[in-house]
Amino acid sequence: MTAYLVRRIGQAVVVVLGVMVLTFFMIHMVPGSAARATLGTRATAERIAMFNAAYGLDKPLSTQFLTFVEQAARGNFGTSYSMQQPVSTLIAQRLPRDGLLLGLSTLLALAIALPMGIYQAVRRGRIADHVFTVVSFVLYSMPDFFFALVLIAVFSVQFHLLPSEAPQAESVGGILADPQGLVLPVVTLTLVSLAGFSRYMRASALTTLAQDYVQVARSKGLPERLVLRRHVLRNSMLPVITILGLSAPSIVAGAVIAESVFNYPGMGLLFYQAATSKDYPIMLGSTLVVGVATVLGSLFADIAYSLLDPRIRYVDA
Amino acid sequence: MPPLLEVSNLTTHIRTRRGVVRAVDGVSFTLEEGETLGLVGESGCGKSMTGLSVMGLLPRGGSIVGDSSVRLGGRELVGLPESDLRRVRGNEIAMVFQDPMSALDPTKTIGHQVAESVLLHRGGTRAEAADRAAEVLGLVGLPHPRERLGDYPHQLSGGLRQRVLIAMALVNEPKVLIADEPTTALDVTIQAQILDLLADLRARLRMAMILITHDMGVTAGHTDRVNVMYAGRIAESAGTGPLFRAMRHPYTQSLLASVPRLDRGPTGQLPTIPGLPPDLTDPPSGCRFAARCQYATDRCRTAEPELTGPATHRYACWHPTDGPRPAEPVDTPMDVEVVLPAQAAAVASAAVAERPVLEARDLVREFPVRGSWLPGRERRVVHALSGVSLTIGHGETLGIVGESGCGKTTLGRLLVGLDRPDSGTVTLDGTDLGRLRGRELRQRRRDLQMMFQDPFSSLDPRMRVGSILREPLQIQGLGTTSEQRERVAELLAEVGLPAHAADLYPHEFSGGQRQRVGLARALALTPKLIVADEPVSALDVSVRAQVLNLMRGLQVSHGLSYVVISHDLAVVRYLADRIGVMYLGRMVEVGSADDIHLRAAHPYTAGLLKAVPVPDPDVERAKHGAGVRGELPSPLAPPSGCRFRTRCPLAQDLCALEEPTPRLFATGHTAACHFPLQTPLPDASPALTGDPA
Ligand SMILES: Nc1ncnc2c1ncn2[C@@H]1O[C@H](COP(=O)(O)OP(=O)(O)OP(=O)(O)O)[C@@H](O)[C@H]1O
Ligand code: SF4
Ligand code: SF4
Ligand SMILES: [Mg+2]
Repeated sequence: MTAYLVRRIGQAVVVVLGVMVLTFFMIHMVPGSAARATLGTRATAERIAMFNAAYGLDKPLSTQFLTFVEQAARGNFGTSYSMQQPVSTLIAQRLPRDGLLLGLSTLLALAIALPMGIYQAVRRGRIADHVFTVVSFVLYSMPDFFFALVLIAVFSVQFHLLPSEAPQAESVGGILADPQGLVLPVVTLTLVSLAGFSRYMRASALTTLAQDYVQVARSKGLPERLVLRRHVLRNSMLPVITILGLSAPSIVAGAVIAESVFNYPGMGLLFYQAATSKDYPIMLGSTLVVGVATVLGSLFADIAYSLLDPRIRYVDA
Repeated sequence: MPPLLEVSNLTTHIRTRRGVVRAVDGVSFTLEEGETLGLVGESGCGKSMTGLSVMGLLPRGGSIVGDSSVRLGGRELVGLPESDLRRVRGNEIAMVFQDPMSALDPTKTIGHQVAESVLLHRGGTRAEAADRAAEVLGLVGLPHPRERLGDYPHQLSGGLRQRVLIAMALVNEPKVLIADEPTTALDVTIQAQILDLLADLRARLRMAMILITHDMGVTAGHTDRVNVMYAGRIAESAGTGPLFRAMRHPYTQSLLASVPRLDRGPTGQLPTIPGLPPDLTDPPSGCRFAARCQYATDRCRTAEPELTGPATHRYACWHPTDGPRPAEPVDTPMDVEVVLPAQAAAVASAAVAERPVLEARDLVREFPVRGSWLPGRERRVVHALSGVSLTIGHGETLGIVGESGCGKTTLGRLLVGLDRPDSGTVTLDGTDLGRLRGRELRQRRRDLQMMFQDPFSSLDPRMRVGSILREPLQIQGLGTTSEQRERVAELLAEVGLPAHAADLYPHEFSGGQRQRVGLARALALTPKLIVADEPVSALDVSVRAQVLNLMRGLQVSHGLSYVVISHDLAVVRYLADRIGVMYLGRMVEVGSADDIHLRAAHPYTAGLLKAVPVPDPDVERAKHGAGVRGELPSPLAPPSGCRFRTRCPLAQDLCALEEPTPRLFATGHTAACHFPLQTPLPDASPALTGDPA
């Protein structure tokens, strides 16, 4: 297990470094300058030069990159141009909120998708299966922001049941104190992942149901409910966990959109605002954090997999 | 008193997209306490479905229809609510399935899986259930059961897993055990152990057993009565002795005649059953066997025969036969000259005397274990082949036998150049294949072809058969397109397939036909040698006979040499002139087919032969003990000295210390053993004869 972890963490470091290089140079390839975006179109050439000098933007790109890496390694991502706060502080404030939003919606999506996939597999070819299949495909093919807008249109504008803006509290506790505001963002993100998860679960459960050990479990006299819970669920979950790890980036992408629509003060919104104002330090810092989180996510997925599947656990034990 | 289990007029229909499959059609039988009833027949005849219907475990779309009745101790099970049936399942009637590799849940410990049944039917605490699980696991011969309760299935060998499955079925001491092909997926040596275990447990627990099998040898040795099934119906039902000695149904007769026999040696062509069983969505009127029966008359084709005859021996046939078919070959499906054994033997010995086609010297092949290159991990290798040598003459067939994992397939791949040895040489007609590169190698490889076990996965499903057969010709750049097409037609004719087969896809063929395509592909480049790796293992008995006949016919007409790799000693006996016996990466004995079968010198060979079930109840019942005890040790750490010593009944201290060198027992017959079963020739070194170590 340790050898395995060492190898995985090594891979993760390489991936994160790659992400850093890519984002850094890609950001600087986008036309337009940070100074103009921050200071406005009427800023004088002098002020722009001062701005560039203050943030080291007048140096060659390679020097800028090295400075960035060196500082990032010490946990310093620089200062936001527009908000005039250290990026690390901004991220530290917002990351827990994202943990809350993404954690809640992913758990909810799994809690619905796993039983739904098994149910569909058991009733394959019947009406219920077809209905769920159609629903999943519709969800799957809809753009993320569309859910958000539809939900707002129905629940906030039409029926005034739920607020269209997410809670703006500083702390996680504060956000939880206003659960109503949390409903629409969480539901949006849940719907985004739900369709994919349930399709994978259905396919995986179909394979499991055809295994001999399921027939053996029935031949013991086990009620179908227990056959599904004890023998089908866990075995079918394994491939879904791998998918979960792999879909971390798309979950994050969904979060950027949902947060900007609902004005949820998380990393997604931060990134969205930074991108529109060319706030390089924030963009770099948050990309890095998301990169690390994604890699960690798939690492956790692998570890969860190896805990659930004894065949893997023992190979490296 | 009613019989323990009484099945009458059992009819099971399965609704599918193609229509309703009449999988079981009016089957009736009884089972008495302590009795073993065999259910035999070709694939798809409804054996498993009969067992599953008794258990009430039907597949999707399946239902028991009509006036079917299944009575257990007088109590009707058909129509019982699911909740009541569940109390019977796993408690009063239990089932063991075919494939031990997939029948255990990979994510649960074996202790958990065995205890699950106990908790379900007997209640009690988890600790009590675990105690009971350990007790029964010990009963079925799992060593140190208490310590192994926490093991996961993948940590056990196939044989041990099957023992766990049997323990799972027996844990509540059921009255009836249904064993569906319980040993088909296992090696003969392990098969013999498991069958003995089942017989022993049945006697001790006074159970009754339904043994479902397609193997007539297993049937002969382990059943009291037999139902022969054909196309969802019972064709014949009799005591095991009378059935084998005096069968009345032509199907039973053909089925037995088409099995290659270990105890008989090659007997010209094997009789085959032409054609395939009927489609059960639309069974023919009249006798269902009529299309394949050599005695069929008009009456057979119009009126369906009912089961008749005395209560102890019933059969459904208008023109019953009287006992086995005379040994002479009856039908020859192809125009191939029948080779008599004497003739074949003469050809063979002449061939070996000449320069051999292929010669292998001291082949060593080791596979590193995955991940063992990591720092801090000890480097471990699988010793797949540890110094194997052999020679194959022109037109000769060398059979290679041994348990799974002994290195047979690795050897075959090295011989045809699909893989390279770590050391040692393969010489084709005097050229060392290991020295050839690029184009030269490709050209030489034409002479060596391979035929695979699974005809389905070795044929590209998206290519038409014509393209599959043309591909090797194109790669080698042989002939124009029209010449290639001609060659394809010729090949199809040679393997007995119709010309239009070229336009079909592999899935449109039956297993036997696909294996014919595999053979045609191997023949495309007119090779000198074909390595056939388990060529008929995936085929039904009757089809198996057709493919074996074909292989023999082509050998004569093309002067081919074969290396036939098989775990089935009877198949090898039927095809091979000489046989090599492998054990854990070593060739332990080589000799003519008769040397091996009649005068085996190595204890392993003798044990292996004893473990093979022979379709003759008298022979089978005379056997005692299980041939070879224990299981194959791990090829990661083979035992010191003689590798067989951990399972050898004759092993002594010397065997652990010193590796036995091959000794000569007759011309061309060598074996590596310190204490052989035959007397070796005085001090003639086998090196002089140029034959294997
Ligand atoms: N799940 C299923 N759905 C539809 N048809 C099936 C199903 N299972 C079996 N059948 C059909 O029922 C018939 C009997 O099948 P069954 O499995 O009992 O044969 P078998 O004698 O056990 O064969 P084998 O030796 O291959 O195990 C066959 O025609 C088969 O195609
Ligand atoms: S009834 Fe006729 S076709 Fe059927 S097995 Fe008997 S002889 Fe053959
Ligand atoms: S050398 Fe010894 S252990 Fe090996 S087969 Fe001969 S008697 Fe048995
Ligand atoms: Mg079957």
